[in-house]
Amino acid sequence: MNRRYLLMSGAALALVPGMALAHGPSRQKITLTTEVAAEPAEVWAVIGNFQDMSWHPAVVSQEGQGGNEIDATRMLYLSDAGADGPKIDEILYKYSAEKMSYSYRITEVAVEVLPVTNYSSHLTVMPRDGGGSVVEWRGAFYRGYPNNDPPPELNDEAAIAAVSAVYQAGLDALVERFGAPAS
Amino acid sequence: MRPLRNTALSLALTLAAWPAAGDVAFVTCQNGDAVSVLDLSTGEEHARWTVPGKPAGVAVDTGGAVYTVSPDSKAVRRFSFAGEVLAEVTLDGGPIAATYDAARDRLFVSDWYNARLWVLDGATLAPLGELPADAAPSGLALSPDGAVLAVAERDADRVRFYDAATLTLRHTTRVGTRPFGLGFAPDGRLFVGNVGSNDVTVIDPASGEVLATLPVGERPYGVGFAAGRAFVTNQYADTVSVIALDDLSPVGVIEVGEYPEGIAATSDGHIAVANWFDNTLSLIDAETLEVVASYGTADGPRAFGAFILHGDLP
Repeated sequence: MNRRYLLMSGAALALVPGMALAHGPSRQKITLTTEVAAEPAEVWAVIGNFQDMSWHPAVVSQEGQGGNEIDATRMLYLSDAGADGPKIDEILYKYSAEKMSYSYRITEVAVEVLPVTNYSSHLTVMPRDGGGSVVEWRGAFYRGYPNNDPPPELNDEAAIAAVSAVYQAGLDALVERFGAPAS
Repeated sequence: MRPLRNTALSLALTLAAWPAAGDVAFVTCQNGDAVSVLDLSTGEEHARWTVPGKPAGVAVDTGGAVYTVSPDSKAVRRFSFAGEVLAEVTLDGGPIAATYDAARDRLFVSDWYNARLWVLDGATLAPLGELPADAAPSGLALSPDGAVLAVAERDADRVRFYDAATLTLRHTTRVGTRPFGLGFAPDGRLFVGNVGSNDVTVIDPASGEVLATLPVGERPYGVGFAAGRAFVTNQYADTVSVIALDDLSPVGVIEVGEYPEGIAATSDGHIAVANWFDNTLSLIDAETLEVVASYGTADGPRAFGAFILHGDLP
């Protein structure tokens, strides 16, 4: 299905190291939410494991270490090629089963895969008024191009569009899985 | 009254709306292309100036001006307290932060992309010269006595000290990993937040010697001082670390909003923290370490620099 290849915008998938140090001048932020019919505990049971992102349609397979402990790592593989294809390396820096929330950073991604640098994110499940759950996904990141005057595919707007598309695909998959709230 | 929303046209109205007393925060809001002008005694947003180009750096001149730095459009502006643009310059590079030297009426601006500082005339913003720096100069601060300019060199893991009067280099000091924000304690020591190593380096600016390296939270960004304590914003931890100035011991950790960044003291013993993700300014009682208020701002408050005007307006 198309969504599987969502992250691979553009043809070039060369895995050049991300610019981990330098970044653009203006950090971007987005918050996307969705509502589902299932109760928070049921949703958290599916998405609350840092080592299992199979609920997201773009993630084909993954490897990782450290479970849900702080500094746990995961490598998300976005194609059947596994570690040889497009991938995203991430590290966990906050985790609360009680609050049903975890926070992670990208440690390595090619800008051809996701045009961002210095990316951090929170995923949270909250009870919804009237039953069901609200799932919130928030991200903070700089554009893929670290210097001034970026090319269009690596500017602030491109970064926002790419991350928004990732979040929307994941949240849509949760609605598909758990259903939308009745009212 | 209804918050005022724009710049020069609202000059007369804004002046009429000033409080009789109390500190005022000029909060650069990067994502919103704005400065939120907040009365810190009431939390009221007196004005919201439109500031194009994603403003981040800010420096208040108590004599009557607010400087802003917009990295996207490379513009540095000088505003009156009422929001009138008094001067503007476009710099060829990556301006990010600024500090104002009142004794010599000069503004220093760091160039994130070109390993240098600009020295600008404080009134006209005309470039007077440039000072070399190492890779990715970012946070700037002037010592309490006005004698020393400190520059964080983020990608060089160093801090550089200039004589503010003669503009000669005094020292360069190796610090932690990726220093970004920094601030002078009232006693003259420099505290530097190291984003990459999650610690603060304390330096004696007279000698350039490192006095201590103190662990703080994840991604320390800015440093402020009140009640004999240093306060450090931890961007990724959503907290403020508190350090005693007398023995440099940890005093506590305060939960604030998400992505806390700019931090500065008020004149009445509070610490104000800009929470970038939440669009709020948290006010902390520096004695009790309680968050006593949270005020709304425009989108993406960074307040990177000296953003609080102390006391009565002229």
